[in-house]
Amino acid sequence: MPSRFVSVAAVVFFMLSCFVVYPAMAQSDVVRIGIVSPNTGAAARYGAFAWRGAQLARDEINAAGGMNGKKVELFQGDSQCIPTEGVSSVQRMIAQDKVRFVIGDVCSSVTIAMQPVAENAGVLLVNAASSNPDITYKAGVGGYKWSFRNYPTDENRASVVLKYATEQKKIKKFAVLSVDSDYGRGAIALTKKYLGEFGAEIVSEDYYKDKEADFRPVLANIRRSGAGAIIMYGLADTTPIIGRQMVEAGLAGKVILIGSAEFNNPEAIKIAPTALNGAVEAAAYMPEWDTPKNHEFVAAYRKTYDGETPNVHAYAYWETLRLVAAAAKEAKSDNQDDIRKALSTMTYEGVMGKVTFDDHNQANLPMILFEIIDGKPVIKGTFNTQIKYSAR
Amino acid sequence: MTELLVEQIINGIVAGSVYALVAAGMTMIFGVLRAINFAHGEYYMLGTFSAWYVITKLNVSYPVAIILAVIITMGIAAVIGRLVMQGLVTAPFQSGVLATLGLSLILQNLIIITFGGTYKIFPGGWLEPVFFGDISLAWQRIIIVLVTIGVFIALEFLVRRTRMGKAMRAVSQNTACCLVNGIDIERVVLGTFVLGGGLAALSGVLTGPINVTVYGGMGEAITLKTFAVIVMGGMGNVRGTLIAGWILGIAESFVAGFIGLQYRDAVGFVILIGMLMVRPTGFFSVQSRF
Repeated sequence: MPSRFVSVAAVVFFMLSCFVVYPAMAQSDVVRIGIVSPNTGAAARYGAFAWRGAQLARDEINAAGGMNGKKVELFQGDSQCIPTEGVSSVQRMIAQDKVRFVIGDVCSSVTIAMQPVAENAGVLLVNAASSNPDITYKAGVGGYKWSFRNYPTDENRASVVLKYATEQKKIKKFAVLSVDSDYGRGAIALTKKYLGEFGAEIVSEDYYKDKEADFRPVLANIRRSGAGAIIMYGLADTTPIIGRQMVEAGLAGKVILIGSAEFNNPEAIKIAPTALNGAVEAAAYMPEWDTPKNHEFVAAYRKTYDGETPNVHAYAYWETLRLVAAAAKEAKSDNQDDIRKALSTMTYEGVMGKVTFDDHNQANLPMILFEIIDGKPVIKGTFNTQIKYSAR
Repeated sequence: MTELLVEQIINGIVAGSVYALVAAGMTMIFGVLRAINFAHGEYYMLGTFSAWYVITKLNVSYPVAIILAVIITMGIAAVIGRLVMQGLVTAPFQSGVLATLGLSLILQNLIIITFGGTYKIFPGGWLEPVFFGDISLAWQRIIIVLVTIGVFIALEFLVRRTRMGKAMRAVSQNTACCLVNGIDIERVVLGTFVLGGGLAALSGVLTGPINVTVYGGMGEAITLKTFAVIVMGGMGNVRGTLIAGWILGIAESFVAGFIGLQYRDAVGFVILIGMLMVRPTGFFSVQSRF
């Protein structure tokens, strides 16, 4: 039967290709680094920026002579913001692509799932953009020796946002509408710790699935609840949907958004200007950050990507890849164990300031508080995200 | 409280109309092929994507985009119907599951390869709100409900009165007798499939403005929801599908509004399991049709 012949031939070809392709990739004159980010699915926007940031950093590092003379080669893994997908892409990178460094993921749930995989393989995992506190509670002296995080944690963000909303905006009643993940639920759990301190009250609590597109039933409730603000630790791609449905449901201008979901995304502001006006966000980065190093980064990024302005994930992956390269220089080695030791002792001059790691392998980084005023983000202050671990 | 109840029912009917339009095609395809089309949500996605493409790249107005999107999607469905679905007429049902699951992956990833995995903002639509007392509703939502009702009246006419509809019913009842009577089963299958794809596309392009974003994986969620709708409506029963869609929409809206948004997606599955246990033939007929 010809059809059977074709399928058998296809299987044989596929099996052979496995043997032929992979041994050819084992070379030692390059440093292999895995980049895990959500490139499809509900957080694909983050992954696209992250990958562009990482590629820019790779080109800059290679143009400057590479990591201790070796070229950086990147391997891309798509986590889809789903823990099992993140784990399987890391396993594939370690087993097939022979990476010894992984930068990723954006989504906290994925990062938490990847930590034990990196630990068992002795691969250096440097997280660039997840904010759930658990990631570093479990790292360093907390357990995972191979996990680092070059991104601020949510520990203090929740209280700073709540403080600003209650004191500057005079809001006491809040509705919760956050993404149903370790990030969204974690940030709300932290918010609840500070409700009493600021005399605030949560009147409704909802979590959305990452592909949710119909928020009318929840917005109908919020409109009647008397809430003055919606606490949203959510996904940037969902912000325009919620913004537009807030306009439609008559909430825009009456209820503001606070938390973190890229309220400064120009597309979201364009599509629902009244809903995003007054939005308050605590962010790890914004392109308007006024330091020479950031101006340099933004200019280089825009030049490479047709004038596109980088977002927080482009910055985070760009910066973290450069951090690993700087640690390799510090260690005078491209061995992952030497680099791991260098990371915990070195001081790195980053875009947001000086970076050092604590005994939980957590970077000390500032966060920016901004408010959207007339369609533009205005910086209202910065705060430190240093953690007092004994608090738990 | 009554006003909130009314508002949630309205929200449910809008959401349910979208499900019903998608499910109508799915249930008709099941009728003639006895195969669940796991790729059905992909035609919803293709419709929305086509509209997004012609509006943003070719500067076409939204009303024209609706027509173009449906035609483009029906064209794609015709090719797939000719190459894949017609071949399933004589194949065992497992082939249908595998073929349509494979198609779903291929279509999603083709879109992701071509246009990238990121969300796109859907332009256009009639978003000015209309007020009913305290409740405000975009025109777009009212149009979705009206179009859905219109489509179901037309479908009812098609199925009961036209030659094509009669042939569809005949194929769903007994394929052997169809062959004896000279009904071209493959043609009926192709026609049903193209029509179903067009309805899913229509649903997608009408929902685009209120769901705001367009992306490759957007069809998956709606495929899962239509399972509950077609089982509730009675597999292959077009009339029942509209009522079943509304029931699911309203149930979801109540759960999202009164219990919590995080439980919304569970509603469809709870209904699906409940129906299969208690009344697997659906709400509207005592007997299974097959």
